[in-house]
Amino acid sequence: MKPELMLLWTAVGLYGLSAFSYIFGLISKSEKLFTVGLYSALAGFAPHVGTIALRWSATGITPFISISESLSLGVFMAVLVLLATLFAIKRLRPIGVLVMPVAFVLLGWSGTLMKEVAATIAPALQSGWIWVHIVGASTGFASVLIAAGLGLIYLLKENRTGGIYDRLPDLDTIDVLSYRYVAAGFIMYGLMIVSGCFWSNQVKGNYWNWDPVEVWSLISWLVYGIYLHLRITFGWRGRRLAWYALFALAAMIVSYWGIPFSMETFHSGFRIEH
Amino acid sequence: MPDLNNLPENDSENDQYPIEPRYHPVNRFARKIFDSLASSKLAMFLLVFILACCVVGVTVYRGQKAGEMIFGTLWFNGMLILLVINVACCFFGRIWGRKVTIISFGMILFHLSFVAIFAGIVYNSLFHFDGVIRLTEGETLPSGDVNSYDRADHGRFFSYAKLRGETTLIRMHIGYKVEGEDKRAAYEVEVGERGSKKKGIIYITHNLDYGDIKYLPEKEGYSLLTVLSDAQGREIYGAFVPLQSLKQGKENSYLYATGTKEGPESFPFPQEPEKPRYAVLLEYTPSPLKERSGEVHYQVWPLVPGEGMPAEKKIADAKAAVTEKIPAGAHQLSVKEVGYWVAMNVRYDPGKPVVLVSLWAGLGGMIITTFGRMLRRRGSARSNPGSTSLPEKEILG
Repeated sequence: MKPELMLLWTAVGLYGLSAFSYIFGLISKSEKLFTVGLYSALAGFAPHVGTIALRWSATGITPFISISESLSLGVFMAVLVLLATLFAIKRLRPIGVLVMPVAFVLLGWSGTLMKEVAATIAPALQSGWIWVHIVGASTGFASVLIAAGLGLIYLLKENRTGGIYDRLPDLDTIDVLSYRYVAAGFIMYGLMIVSGCFWSNQVKGNYWNWDPVEVWSLISWLVYGIYLHLRITFGWRGRRLAWYALFALAAMIVSYWGIPFSMETFHSGFRIEH
Repeated sequence: MPDLNNLPENDSENDQYPIEPRYHPVNRFARKIFDSLASSKLAMFLLVFILACCVVGVTVYRGQKAGEMIFGTLWFNGMLILLVINVACCFFGRIWGRKVTIISFGMILFHLSFVAIFAGIVYNSLFHFDGVIRLTEGETLPSGDVNSYDRADHGRFFSYAKLRGETTLIRMHIGYKVEGEDKRAAYEVEVGERGSKKKGIIYITHNLDYGDIKYLPEKEGYSLLTVLSDAQGREIYGAFVPLQSLKQGKENSYLYATGTKEGPESFPFPQEPEKPRYAVLLEYTPSPLKERSGEVHYQVWPLVPGEGMPAEKKIADAKAAVTEKIPAGAHQLSVKEVGYWVAMNVRYDPGKPVVLVSLWAGLGGMIITTFGRMLRRRGSARSNPGSTSLPEKEILG
């Protein structure tokens, strides 16, 4: 097995350990299992970084092009933001209950799709906009994933007391935090769409072509735009927005990786005819 | 006029929900229309409706069908315009008379940019031009002639006089490299009027601007200089014949042949206005060793006199290297030279700068609003250190 694949599957294994530790920690209300979950996520993050670095150094081509690489980058950013959040705000540890299983499944999926490192990069992808675009997309995903994690613990804490639930911040605080992560995700998706428009303008001479990837990114952005308006204009708070954040995450994952990559679009690289 | 010294902040948490507009026109009729357009329920309905249309447009219908059924339709674009009017009325009706803070400034910028984007789109749709011009190496076509374009869409108020001068394809470069990066195909072109022509190389991610007109690469293919000679080998007719690139199987292998995108087909040769004598089907296999060389497979049918249709029986079915001749009835056929044709996208989008600047302005508005909220939280924390309602105090440590 190639070193980058070995590192990738090690990361998948450790993220899996982290995911199950969080799930069983929640069931058994065990703080210790949350600690195991946190540190196994941290341990898994190292080989995950290693596999990205190895692929990058192999050809010098940014390893964020194919669907497996895109999944890997999204998970990388989600785990990075999760770790930063959990080390800054220790009482939020249970949000790993949603984040780590998602990270585990998506990175495992990425592993099954992983191909050889590309020897060349399609001309359309040789643009500086790629950096702004992928930072916006992956950070946006990380933010809304954490927001959904906060939504989940809001719903769990609402009807439960004792043990880990008492150590969580109060419901209003969780609600406000979830909103802040959604707002951050909304801005990052905005950055992704704006940079995508400029990139498309550079390549196709048009900023918007209604192609499936563009429409799906618009769908994600609108979904979170509606969230913000429900909160700011309609005064929604608490349980309803927590549910909304969870459903929105599902829509987001479909829009990000589900349908767009299954068809030939801009992101699949350009057709070269000669 | 509202009392400017005693204005509420736009982002007050103490508002009653749903937040209602603060501005109402004096005229009763205008007020009724404005209140309908400024309805937050209408905004939510439009957002959800457009969202649902987008989902249908990428699941039930896809690609061109989605454009025909949804994204390109009058009703969908009408909904988008209604959304913009609704957003403008909703937002500016509610922010009317409120104190301008960093937060509200960001929100104003965001919503203004939203309106400006759609204004740019509408303006562009009225004046734009989007055409595809196809040229063989060495060929020149008048830019302002509608017949020069394979496809041309333009706005109601666009004038072809905007497209001044000529467009020439000087050469197509394969394997073109810029700072070590393989751009695969690059077109060397010259555009414009005599005396002020502009020359340049275009490839994906690098376009040529001539005034407000943009030239972009679209696609390219082989073009064979096919020559008909008499029995003594004297050339009597020659023309560049463009080939289709027909994808074979799942791998990146192509069949290069005359015909349409549906498949290989013969074509009358010589071409009009000359009198056609044969139906010729050419298939070209490029040499992997040397560019613009390789082997050509010729299939030739005589044309039935009076009908202009190919006869059933072929008079030639042979392969020969480029420049080599093959016998075809009383004549000889050869490919003298392998060249390229390219299709270039020619665009004029006067509303685009407004849209692109507004995109950044909108993003800036979102960031300014967030920055303003962060500043407000810090200010609240300083002025009310004992407060337990601040999330930071609650969760940190």
